Amino acid sequence: MAAQDGLWYKDAVIYQVHVRAFYDSSGDGNGDFRGLAQKLDYLQELGVNAIWLMPFFPSPLRDDGYDISDYRTVNPTYGTLDDFKAFLAAAHQRGIRVIIEMVLNHTSDQHPWFQESRSSRSNPRRDWYVWSDTDTRYKGTRLIFLDTELSNWAWDPVSKQYYWHRFFSHQPDLNYDNPQVREEMWDIMKFWLQMGVDAFRLDAVPYLVEREGTNCENLPETHQIIKDLRARIDREFPGRMLLAEANQWPTDLRAYFGTGDEFHMAFHFPLMPRMFMGLKLEDRKPITEILKQTPEIPENCQWCLFLRNHDELTLEMVTDMERDYMYDEYAKEKSMRINLGIRRRLAPLLDNDRRRIELMNGLLMSLPGTPIIYYGDEIGMGDNVNLGDRHGVRTPMQWEGGWNGGFSPADPETLYSPLMLNPVYGFQAINVQSQKRFDHSLLSWMKRLIRVRKATPVLGRGSIQFLYPANHRVLAYFRKLGNETILAVNNLSSKAQAVELDLKEYRGNILVEMFGRNIFPRIGDLPYLLTLGPYQFFWFKLRKI
Amino acid sequence: MPDESILSDGFVRELMNVGDVDIVVGVPTYNDARSVGQVVQAVRAGLLKYFPRERSVIINADGGSRDGTQDMVRAAAISDLSVVSDVHALRTLHSISTQYEGGPANGIAIHTILAATDLLQARTCAIVSPESTTLEPEWMERLLRPVLRDGNDLVLPIYRRPKFDGLLIRNLVFPMANVLYGCPVREPYPSDFAFSGELGSQFLGQDIWNQEQGRRGTELWMTLWAAIGKHKLVQSFLGTKTRREDAPSDLVAAMRETAGTLFTSLDAYVSVWHSTPEAVQAPCIGCEPAISDGPSRLNRKRLYDMFRFGVKELDPVFLSILTPPTHDQLKQLAGVPEEKFTYSAELWARTVYEFAIAFHKAIIGRDHIVQALVPLFRGRAHTFLTQNRDASAEEMHSNLEFLCKAFELEKPHLLDLWDGGK
Amino acid sequence: MWQNFIGELARTMNEIVQSFARFLPRVLEMLLLVLVGWIIAFVLRAAVRSVLRIARFDKWSEHTGAAQVLRRSALPSPTEMLSRFVFWVAWVGFILVGISVLPVPWLGPHISNFFGFIPRLVVAFFILFFGLLAASFFSRAALLGGVNADLPSPRLISQTLRAMMILFVISMAFEVVGIGSRTVLIAFALAFGALMLGLALAFGLGGKDLARKYLEKRFARESFPEEPSKEREDELSPL
Repeated sequence: MAAQDGLWYKDAVIYQVHVRAFYDSSGDGNGDFRGLAQKLDYLQELGVNAIWLMPFFPSPLRDDGYDISDYRTVNPTYGTLDDFKAFLAAAHQRGIRVIIEMVLNHTSDQHPWFQESRSSRSNPRRDWYVWSDTDTRYKGTRLIFLDTELSNWAWDPVSKQYYWHRFFSHQPDLNYDNPQVREEMWDIMKFWLQMGVDAFRLDAVPYLVEREGTNCENLPETHQIIKDLRARIDREFPGRMLLAEANQWPTDLRAYFGTGDEFHMAFHFPLMPRMFMGLKLEDRKPITEILKQTPEIPENCQWCLFLRNHDELTLEMVTDMERDYMYDEYAKEKSMRINLGIRRRLAPLLDNDRRRIELMNGLLMSLPGTPIIYYGDEIGMGDNVNLGDRHGVRTPMQWEGGWNGGFSPADPETLYSPLMLNPVYGFQAINVQSQKRFDHSLLSWMKRLIRVRKATPVLGRGSIQFLYPANHRVLAYFRKLGNETILAVNNLSSKAQAVELDLKEYRGNILVEMFGRNIFPRIGDLPYLLTLGPYQFFWFKLRKI
Repeated sequence: MPDESILSDGFVRELMNVGDVDIVVGVPTYNDARSVGQVVQAVRAGLLKYFPRERSVIINADGGSRDGTQDMVRAAAISDLSVVSDVHALRTLHSISTQYEGGPANGIAIHTILAATDLLQARTCAIVSPESTTLEPEWMERLLRPVLRDGNDLVLPIYRRPKFDGLLIRNLVFPMANVLYGCPVREPYPSDFAFSGELGSQFLGQDIWNQEQGRRGTELWMTLWAAIGKHKLVQSFLGTKTRREDAPSDLVAAMRETAGTLFTSLDAYVSVWHSTPEAVQAPCIGCEPAISDGPSRLNRKRLYDMFRFGVKELDPVFLSILTPPTHDQLKQLAGVPEEKFTYSAELWARTVYEFAIAFHKAIIGRDHIVQALVPLFRGRAHTFLTQNRDASAEEMHSNLEFLCKAFELEKPHLLDLWDGGK
Repeated sequence: MWQNFIGELARTMNEIVQSFARFLPRVLEMLLLVLVGWIIAFVLRAAVRSVLRIARFDKWSEHTGAAQVLRRSALPSPTEMLSRFVFWVAWVGFILVGISVLPVPWLGPHISNFFGFIPRLVVAFFILFFGLLAASFFSRAALLGGVNADLPSPRLISQTLRAMMILFVISMAFEVVGIGSRTVLIAFALAFGALMLGLALAFGLGGKDLARKYLEKRFARESFPEEPSKEREDELSPL
C-alpha cells in the first residue's frame, strides 16, 4: 500500500462488518477471513475505502466477541492469523484500510489473566483486575446493561471477593491503575499495528478508570491513558488512527479529542437518534439543536456518523419524553426494545420505505463527519427480534436467492444464526445478486451515493453552516471548504414541500445538482424557491461562472 | 372552498412554511398588547404539556393593532432559530400573525382563522380570547382533548363566573337559544372554544361572510348552526373567567352581536323553530359550580332610571315595534316606583319576541330595532339583579329555568305574529 | 253688388270651410293623441302602481313620515298619489303634444318648457323622497344614540336634526325645480346659522356640565383619579 496519508479517515467511507456474518468459505456455518477476503471485490465495487471489523479474537462469545480470551490471535472459527494477514494484504491492495476492535476496558472471565487473577489473592495478576471485599464501592455508578445486570460488582466464589464489571458479569474490568496492564495493552496494540492494521476502535473507553465519589466515567486519568497511547502511536506508527466508542453528550465527548492528542475520531452518538426523531417528527429541530450544541473539535479530528450498528439504537442520550416518543414510533412492540434502545435494522425502522432509506443515507453522507455503513444496510436487510439480545441485527449477509442466501455451503441448521426468511426481508427478496442486476436497486443507488461522496472532499472535511428556512420540515445547510461550497437541502416530511432559502450571500452562483449535474436557476436577490417531493433531498454544488 | 382572498400573500407564505398541522390555536386581537402575551404563553405551555407530540400552530388574526400586539404573539414561537431556548419542546411551534382587512371585527378574524385551519388541514382548532388572562395551560387540554381524542365536533366552555356576569347571555341569548333551537348550552356565545377541522371547514363554506353575522356575533351563529345541524356538542369546564377591570361594557355593541344575530337567525332557521325542536345533547365535562359568589357593585337605580328614560323618549319608536298591549304594559311599568318594579319574565319574553318580529319585517332600520331594545334590557337587568341578589346557585338556576319557561309559553305569540296575525 | 256680396260670402265661406277642412284633421289628430295618451297614461299608472307595490313604496314612505302626513290629510296612500301623479303628467304631456300638432305657433315654446320642466321635477321628487328618508333615519339614530348614551334631551336633539335636514332637503328640491330657490336657500341658511349659534352658546355656557359628563364617561378611569372615598361602581357585564 502507498505511504500512509495523514488525514485519510476524514475522506473515508467505512463499512462495519462482522467476519462471522459475512461469508463462510469453509462450510462450518460461520463466516471467516478467507470468505471475507473473497468478498473484497464487492466492497471495492460498493466504493467503501475502510472496513471496521467486529471483534474476531478468541472468545466464549457470550457478548458477540467483546468478551476476549486471547488478544494475539484469531478465533479459530474465523480462520488463522495467517488468514487474517492475507485478508489484510488483499484489502490494502484494493485501497481499503482495516480498522479492528480493541477492547481495552475488560476481558472475558475465560481469559488466562482472569483465571490467574482469581485463583488467589496473592497471584501476581491479582491486581490486573479491580477487586473489593464489598459491593458498595463506587456507589452511584450507572448500570449499562440494565436488562440483565443488577450491579456493577459480581461475587467471585473462587477468591471470595467482588470484582468490578461495567458490562456483563462475565466481562471483568481490567485495572488501569496497574502500569503492567497499560504496558501489556500497548504491547498488544503494537502487535497488530506491526502486522499492518490501520486503526483501532477502542471499545468502552470512558470506563477505563474508577475513582470513589465519581460516576467512574470520563475521568482525567482515563484521558491521560489515551494521550499516552496516542503519543506512542504517533511516534511509532504515524498515520494510524484511534476511534473512540464513548456514548456521551457532545460536550463530554469533546474531551476525548484532547487538543488533537487523544482520539482521532469519535462516534457522534447523540446525533443518531435525533436523525430518526427528526424524520418521524418531520421537523429538523432535534438535528439542528444537537449539532448546535456540538463543540468545535481540533482540525485533525473527525466525528464518526452512523445510522445503525451491531448494538441497539441507543436512546441513552435523549430525554425521557424523547425516549417515550421514539419507543412509541419506532418500537411499538416491547420485544423490539432492549437496554434503553431499539434492536432493529435500518430498513425495518424506516418501514422499508426506499425514499426514507435514501434520505437517511443522504444525511449520513452530507452531515459533517465520516460515515459508517453497517453491513447489509446497503441492500436493505431486515432484522429478527426473536433471536434474543441484539443478535437480530447480526444475521448472515444475503448474497443471493439460493442455498443459505449464498452465505455458506453448510447445512442451514449449522449456521451460526438463522437466515432471514420472510417474504419481505428474506434472502430471496433481498440479496446482492438481484440488486446488482438493476440500476434502480438500493445497492446501485448506494454505489452512486458513495461515488459522489468520495468525489467531494468538502463533505468529509468542510465546515457546516445551517440555514433556517421558515419551513421547519426542511433541513438545509452549506458545507464549505476553501472555495468550494455545497448546499444540501433535505425534506424530512412525508409530503411535498416548498421552501424559500435565503441564499443572498451567494448571489450570482449557479446551483448544479450533484447527481445528475443539471443546472438549477442562478441565485438572485429574492429568496430561492425550491420544491421537494416526499423525503427528497438535493445536493448542489455552487458554481460561479 | 375557503375564500383565499381574505389571506394576504405574505400570510399564505407563512402558512406554507407551517405546513399541515394537528392543532391550530386562533387568537383574534385588536390592541390587546396588555394581556395577549400572558394568554399566548399559557397557550404554549398547555400545548407543550398536554400535546407535545402534536403539530401545532398559534395563529393571530389582528384587526390593525398599533400597540405591538402582533409581536407579542410572534414571540411565543419555538424554533431552532433562537440561540438560547429556555423551553424544551419536541417540535417546532410556529406562532404567526396576520392583519386582516376591514377590521376590527371578530367575525372577520374568525373567518381568517377558519380559512387558515382549512388550508393547514388541522384536525382541531381552538379559539381563545386575548383577554382571557385567567387562561391556564389546562384549558388547552380541556378544550382540545374532547375533539382530538373523543371525536366531538364543538367544545363550548363553562366558566366559574361572578354571579352577575353575562346578564345579556342569561336573560336573552340562553332562553331564546334554548327554547327556539333546543340548545341548552350555558355559554352559547363563547370567547374560548374549540371545534374539529371538519366542522370548521363546513362552517367556512356557509354563506354568511358577506353579511353582518360574518362580522359580529359569528361565534353565536356557529353555536346555533352546529346545534341545529346535529353536530356533536360538549361543554367543558375551563376555570374562572374574569373580565378585565378596565374593559368598557358597550351594551349597544353587545346587543347587536347577540340580539341582532339571534333575530337574523330566525329568518334562516324558520323551519327549525316553527316546530318543537329536539333538545340538543351537550354533556358537561368536568363541571363544577359555575357561579362564584361575591357582592355586586352594579348600580341598580341607574338601570331603573335608564329604563324609564328610554321608555319615555323612545315612545314613538316603540309604538312602531310593539303591539299595543305590550306597549301599554311597558308604559305602565315605567310608572312603577323602583321598590315595586318588576319586569316580569313573561313581559320580557313577549317584548323580545315582538322585537324579533319587527326585525323580521324591518319595520324600521334593523339596527335601530336592536338599539331600541337596550333600555328595555336595562329594566330587565334590574329585575334580574333584584331577584337574584341573595340567591344561591341552585336558586339562580331555577330562576333561569323559569325564564325559559316564560319564553316557551310566549312562543305561540311569536308564531302568530310571524305568520301574519296580529 | 248683391252678387259680389254672395260671391264674397261664398268665397269667405269657402275659405272658412277650407281652413276648417285643413284644421279638422289636425284636430282629429290631436284628439287621437289625447285618447292614445289617456290609454298610455292609464297603463303607466297601473304599471307604476304595481312597481311601487312590489318595491313596498308605502312602507318606505312610512319611514320618511310622508305617509303619516298624507293619512292625516285624508289623502290616498303614497303609492296611489304617485301613480296618479304619473298618470296626470303623462296625459298632460300627451295633451300638450296633441296641442302642438295644431298650427298654434306661440304654444310651442311653452310646451317645450313643460317637457323641460318634467325631468327637474322628477329629480326634485327623488331628492325630497330620499332626503326625507335620510332625515327620518338619522333623527331616529340620534334619538337612540342619545338615549343609550344617557344624554339629556335626546328627543330635542333628534327633532332638531330632523327639522334641519328636512329644511335642507326642501331647499335643495326647490332649487332644482327653480321655484323661489334663492328665498328658500336664504331661509335655510338663516335658520341653520341661528341654530349653530344657539348650540355654540348653549355648549359654551350651559353645556359644560354635559360635556364633562360625556368626557368622564369615555376617559374617566385613565385620566381623572377617583376620590378615594367614593366606591367604584361595576359596569354591566353583558357577555
